[in-house]
Amino acid sequence: MKSTTSRREFLSAGLMLPLASASSGMSFLKPSESAAGPAGSAVKLDYRTLGRTGLKVTTLGFGCMITSDASVIERAADIGINYFDTARGYQHGNNERMVGAALGARRKQIVLSTKSHAPDKQGLLSDLDTSLRELNTDFVDIWYLHAKGNPAEIHDDMIEAQQLAKRQGKIRFAGVSTHGGQTELLPWLAQKGVFDVVLTSYNFTMDANMEQAIATAAKSGIGVVGMKVMAGGFRGARPGEPANEKLKQPGALLAALKWVIDKPHIATTIPSMTDMDQLDENLKAMEHPFSAADQKLLAEHLDLIRPLYCRMCGKCDGACQKGIKVADVLRCLTYADGYGQFALGRERFQELTAGNGAVRCGDCAECTVSCPHGVRVTDRMARAQELFA
Amino acid sequence: MKVAGFLLALMLPGAMAGAQEYLNCHFLPGWEQSGPKRQFIAENLFEYKDGAAEGYLVYGFVRMQGITCKLGQDSLDIDVSEMTDEDLAYGIFTANVDPGFPVVQIGMGGQVLRQSASFAKGKYYVEITEVAANPLSDQTAMLRAFADRMIAHLEGRSSAPAVMGWFPRENLVSTKLVPESVLGLRQLRRGFVAKYKQGQAFIVLEDSPESAAAVLKSLRTRFSGATAAKVGDEGFQATAEYLAGLCIFRKGRILAGYANLSDATDAVTLAAKLASSLP
Repeated sequence: MKSTTSRREFLSAGLMLPLASASSGMSFLKPSESAAGPAGSAVKLDYRTLGRTGLKVTTLGFGCMITSDASVIERAADIGINYFDTARGYQHGNNERMVGAALGARRKQIVLSTKSHAPDKQGLLSDLDTSLRELNTDFVDIWYLHAKGNPAEIHDDMIEAQQLAKRQGKIRFAGVSTHGGQTELLPWLAQKGVFDVVLTSYNFTMDANMEQAIATAAKSGIGVVGMKVMAGGFRGARPGEPANEKLKQPGALLAALKWVIDKPHIATTIPSMTDMDQLDENLKAMEHPFSAADQKLLAEHLDLIRPLYCRMCGKCDGACQKGIKVADVLRCLTYADGYGQFALGRERFQELTAGNGAVRCGDCAECTVSCPHGVRVTDRMARAQELFA
Repeated sequence: MKVAGFLLALMLPGAMAGAQEYLNCHFLPGWEQSGPKRQFIAENLFEYKDGAAEGYLVYGFVRMQGITCKLGQDSLDIDVSEMTDEDLAYGIFTANVDPGFPVVQIGMGGQVLRQSASFAKGKYYVEITEVAANPLSDQTAMLRAFADRMIAHLEGRSSAPAVMGWFPRENLVSTKLVPESVLGLRQLRRGFVAKYKQGQAFIVLEDSPESAAAVLKSLRTRFSGATAAKVGDEGFQATAEYLAGLCIFRKGRILAGYANLSDATDAVTLAAKLASSLP
């Protein structure tokens, strides 16, 4: 603990220095470095600079959320993966405790991030102190405001908390994590100028608007970290369904990971890993870049889900001449068809259509809603009305 | 599939009636429900547990129902998550237990803190969170009383999985159910892990002795230098870089063992003791 205390003091003082100096403080990692990989082989890890932080991070990071055994984290760190992410809320704090114990003496060699869901300054700072204690460290490199979906969810006192924590040397950089609403949120973060990093859901099922939002953030100097990079293990491909075997074929999830790493504005990714085999599989993304074969594999999946799967991109908002919220209705249908939750689907449908429940898509001579991703809107809406209305 | 889904839907109203019985603010006098009942499934859990939903999904989350109760300036958020089976409900409870506080006998296991309580019974994992006007107040007694009233309305097992009783108690620190990849090994798909002052033990139930033997054989090939250990029906010991001294054995359809010990010989000794407590 003594050494990390002095490190915090050093960092606190160092905040007055140009960011380039902070960057050079992390120069223990070099882009050309190699590390021992699976089965004793050498894996050449790729590094990118995490935006204005100057941190050099491996393009493959580690999302610790559902990892239950410290050995996987320890091995990943020894191999050379240098970005690890956890959160105060994961397993009611037990995840931070496990990550802290796993990293132990390796702490100085890695970039560590955590998050807080607290709604105000006092709660955030209290959470941060708890996180530092559980992680057994005196500072975290990146501290995220957890799961923000739009600018209104980020209050000035939250930003004050991050700035204060920076001055106190408890965090090096301030971030925001987000699972939705990125097309509005990311440009706002870029314009705000007080955030160093954004952790965002990003995968091959998302559209070009998402890519544009990420580019806007990256060009402003924000470092971008990708999560949910495997699209939830390929949603819709659950065991027992015909698509499952096809989509779970070797290499499919790896292709999804490589797709994100291939994007120039993404500095690192944090796939969840629960065992050594997943770690080894993901390390292959370092050796074999995204290829035409990977593209074909992912395209097959998109073709499969396109007619049914609404990505909630929002492009059809306001397009229905009868005022139906198409994307929300399609989600109700997913509850019933995809998860067997008819009652929930009907309840949400009836809430949504309270003012236009008598509308039937079949009554319109021509549908004004066109999905840019190929969802068969008219067919799916008619089914929703048949089921729920 | 569509017909099956429709039939399932027809069966749901019965299940919902049951839910209304265990989601009741009137379990304690003065509390009244505020707002409608919450319902979430795997697809939309993130709307409520944004950023933490995967922690539920990995334990076989099926659905969550919840209500908010109010009494003056205080409120209680009560959320009941239904998991795929009873062991997984117990598993998510163990994953979220605060190791600094005792586990008490509420259903399969419970924990009551100053402003929150959690427990598992049957396939249900229950979380009760107090949002008190005074954030420093101790609501332990009220939360325990609420949990005790609520539990009578939840169906299912009220005792921890029998496996938990097979772990030796001496120097035991904590136990948990790991939903996948026990010890970080994919072959050990799901099992119970006990942490001791030194090292950790695990127990995995396979479908048959044959499948357990196949897994054991596969595991042995992972560890170079592994040698046979006379524990259970068959076993091996090894020293691994990240699991230190270990011993893994099979007894019938059960795979079990010790790891993270400084010496593999110690692991064999402890494994033999564990084997003697297995059925």
